[in-house]
Amino acid sequence: MRNLIIIAFLLVFSSCLRLDSFLYNPDTSIEAYGYDSYEGEVEIEVGPEYTIADSMIHPLTFQSDPSGDDKKIHAVYLGNIADIATDTIILYCHGNRDHLDFYWPRIKLLANVGGKNRYGVLAMDYRGFGLSEGPATEEGMYEDVDACMLWLKQMGLTDDRLVIYGFSLGSAPATELTANPRTLQPSKLMLESCFASDDVFVEDASGLSLPGSYFTSLQINNGDEIKKVEEPFFWIHGVDDSFIRMDTHGETVFGNYRGSYSEAHRIEGGEHGDVPTVMGYPEYLNAVYKFILR
Amino acid sequence: MATIRSFILYSLILFFASCNATRVIKPLEKGEKQLSAGLGGPGIIYAGAPIPMPLTSVNYAQGVDSNVTLSVGMHTTSLAFGVLQSDVSLGIRAYQSKSERFGLTATPGIHVLYDLYENNFRTYPQLEATTWWQYSESKQHLLYGGLGTWIELFKQKAHGQVQTNELMPWITVGHQFNLERWSYLTEFKYLGFQHKTAPSVVDFVSPGGNGTIGFYFGVSRTIGK
Repeated sequence: MRNLIIIAFLLVFSSCLRLDSFLYNPDTSIEAYGYDSYEGEVEIEVGPEYTIADSMIHPLTFQSDPSGDDKKIHAVYLGNIADIATDTIILYCHGNRDHLDFYWPRIKLLANVGGKNRYGVLAMDYRGFGLSEGPATEEGMYEDVDACMLWLKQMGLTDDRLVIYGFSLGSAPATELTANPRTLQPSKLMLESCFASDDVFVEDASGLSLPGSYFTSLQINNGDEIKKVEEPFFWIHGVDDSFIRMDTHGETVFGNYRGSYSEAHRIEGGEHGDVPTVMGYPEYLNAVYKFILR
Repeated sequence: MATIRSFILYSLILFFASCNATRVIKPLEKGEKQLSAGLGGPGIIYAGAPIPMPLTSVNYAQGVDSNVTLSVGMHTTSLAFGVLQSDVSLGIRAYQSKSERFGLTATPGIHVLYDLYENNFRTYPQLEATTWWQYSESKQHLLYGGLGTWIELFKQKAHGQVQTNELMPWITVGHQFNLERWSYLTEFKYLGFQHKTAPSVVDFVSPGGNGTIGFYFGVSRTIGK
């Protein structure tokens, strides 16, 4: 029995396994971004009518420096860079897969809101995704998105013309940086297929009121952070989302919003990654456009 | 790679609710002591085949008297993840036939979980009833089956949502192969059959999209009397 107790204590004090690193699904195997020529898997397919001219595609790199841990992150800006000083810009925070190329059709789609290249769109790979350096971390993700905001600010963007759009995992930096602004205060928040917190993931999977801290050290909590957001809020979610459930995650975030204006788009038949497709691209683009114009 | 990571995450999430085989099938004799180790968990389809999650636990049991066995378990996989999880239960001989080849064991117990990172504490009372049948006159081997449940004490979930799952039940069928000092257990559980698990990113062995089938293996050694 004495030996058992010793072994138990040793296990307790040597316990260090967490699931945090399993939460990110990046692909770092690419050597360059392919954009339209990328032949790997992409989340949605869009037609040639949404193609963006090469002259309007600007690959970028920024230095992002959380706690002195300087990393080079890769981004892409679609549109006329000169417009940043005068017009509305959409900052797109992608989901938890691979890299920018996986989300390239979505980014192109947003560059067609209100007409081709009506609004500039900036999207980045968080650290650890694609060609961006370093391991993926929660704080690093916030810093990387903020580094994009810093670049936009340097190009002349002001708070009132910044719209931030977060899809899935990207709902975390989008919500965090709207609720707790750093370099810029986004004027509008758009979330697609957002999640509420790791607690809800665990509860959905286990059916019990188990806390997320049993598995991860993540502090992402869109369900609470959204309460601080006063800016207009657009929420869109697939009713049939089997990965981030609409009823437990999305409705929680939407229900906790207490700001000035909100609109909800519950898309019948929509799964996690195909909401724009199921909704129809023209309808999707129109909904986004109308919200930005508000 | 993404699928594999998601599979690991979600499978591990389920392990707390399905983490061990039946602790006490037939109560031990008074003073009898037994050490056990268990392996297994919820079933998932991986590479086209159903496999159990390799979740582990160790257990100590002692016959308090001839009708009551105290069992204390420690969940070693969760411990490795910084969660102290222990279960304590009493296996009570509720019925035994005159031939001593058939019986019913009632096992109330409690699971306690505490994470070393954010000090979150949870406790789940457990009720279980197991019927066993010694199917051979000359051998001690047992076929058994039972019904059990965890009881959810929390009425509220994250973000103030209402907890509608008050029970997390299971049905058990198993076999215990008993030698003089060693015994070997194989068990199937249908876990959380009222809880919808499909569609999900993980391909659970999930009849009708509800719950999951768990597979468990155990080995026990009698260490004294």
